[in-house]
Amino acid sequence: MYDSFLVRSDSLSNFEENGKVAGFKFSVRIANYRGMFLSLHNGYYCEVDGVSYPRSAQRLEVNGKAPRSFEDLMNHAVLEHWDMQDEAFLYVYKDGGLAPGKHRVGILESSLGSYGTMPGMDEIVKNPPDPSEGGSGKTFNVCYYDLELQN
Amino acid sequence: MAIKRGVSLYSYQQEEWFGRMTWREMLKEVATNLDGATGIEIISEATIPHFPFPGEEFYQEWLFEMARWGLEAVTMDVFPDPLQFRRDHVMNDREQAERLKMELRIANKMGFKNLRILGTPISVVELALPLAEELDVRINQEIHAPATIRRPENIDDSNPYARANAGKIMDIAEYIQKTGTRHYGLHPDFGIFKKEPPKVYMDYYFRCAGEEHWEEESKETIERFRKCKTQNDEDELKEWAKKTYPKVFNNPANPFALEELNHSFVPPEDLKLIAPYIYVCHGKFMEMTEIEGMPGEYEDKAIDYDGAIAVLKEIGFEGYIDSEYEGQRNQQDRGLEFLPNEIEEVRRHHKMLKRLIGE
Repeated sequence: MYDSFLVRSDSLSNFEENGKVAGFKFSVRIANYRGMFLSLHNGYYCEVDGVSYPRSAQRLEVNGKAPRSFEDLMNHAVLEHWDMQDEAFLYVYKDGGLAPGKHRVGILESSLGSYGTMPGMDEIVKNPPDPSEGGSGKTFNVCYYDLELQN
Repeated sequence: MAIKRGVSLYSYQQEEWFGRMTWREMLKEVATNLDGATGIEIISEATIPHFPFPGEEFYQEWLFEMARWGLEAVTMDVFPDPLQFRRDHVMNDREQAERLKMELRIANKMGFKNLRILGTPISVVELALPLAEELDVRINQEIHAPATIRRPENIDDSNPYARANAGKIMDIAEYIQKTGTRHYGLHPDFGIFKKEPPKVYMDYYFRCAGEEHWEEESKETIERFRKCKTQNDEDELKEWAKKTYPKVFNNPANPFALEELNHSFVPPEDLKLIAPYIYVCHGKFMEMTEIEGMPGEYEDKAIDYDGAIAVLKEIGFEGYIDSEYEGQRNQQDRGLEFLPNEIEEVRRHHKMLKRLIGE
């Protein structure tokens, strides 16, 4: 769902930490027709210019709080809801960030909301799937965006 | 009394997602442009701001707007998300029931008379039933494709959803009959009365696979499907599809494309088996097109509305059919100019419903 619209075209920029460029960030929207409790968010398959960045390098800035890891969201955002209409930012750690110019960003949201108990859920608790396996069920393919790095 | 018409605001999800329409504007659209539609259905997690803690002001406004437009709150759709506590466990029955009870309380405050559930087992509903009775909010199990009404003779082992839910609808019907409860019911979704693969779905799957001539290839596949008369024909069609368009139909990342080539639709006659327990229906549709030779009249080529509504009339169904437009999600992979018009689709759908109901 919303394959062409999950990332805003003017949202890609680098971010700093402790006075150094520590990575890049861009906007993300929910690829679904409803919001989600944030503990269900399992991160993104994320690639930029052909290089993929694991969930451990990702943070999500949402609901007006500082960027949080998906581990943190899983453990502590159990009653905190990301409403469907709200934009969030995905932060990705990469020393020095991205070079100026155009970049090809590909994402696939992995969220674990569901209609009911399904076989295999105990396994998901023990070993959360890699985000490249998807899991939202509403968008099954990686969606690509050509974005110009903003200042 | 006759069948009543309503709209699930799910139908306007794209307008909402892009921030082009608020729930207030949706209520106004239903009340003023659908020629007598009176029912409203929502998904709690889509419409309610700051879910599940919207605040008293929201409830006041909701009740005011519903009264203002003379609308009836029919159904609120809810989800259990058993992995919400996945940091250490899958929700047990008691926890799932607590989440369901939370939704019952919200529904009650908004004036809804029905909840829609989908994958929640009887053992969980049982724990929430006393509260459902106290608040007079019914819990309805949706019958959603690929589920069937009858117990299937052959269970599709490749589909975990179908496997997990095989026979569930008749189990629930028997439970309701045995207990005599009026607060547990069934909610058929017209997507189970599928006639052929929806064009907007097929087109999308061919485009996603990067097929250059997706339009013709999708059309060719649907035309071949229309010629299938037996299970053998369908098996042959699937083999042909997998061989001819492997990127579309033999792609483990997208099992949905091949699933669309399953005929396996439910005969509308099967509604008679569960007639006393049907309280509401989802008028699922993918695309309303003008009927050849009937200007201004519309149909969804992929779903057997004629058959389903004829049976509902025969069994004396007097509840709501709520429009549930779902064609938008497969048209969002190109530019804004290719997005379908949800408002127009729902208006066409209600023209069709009026014609078939005989208003």
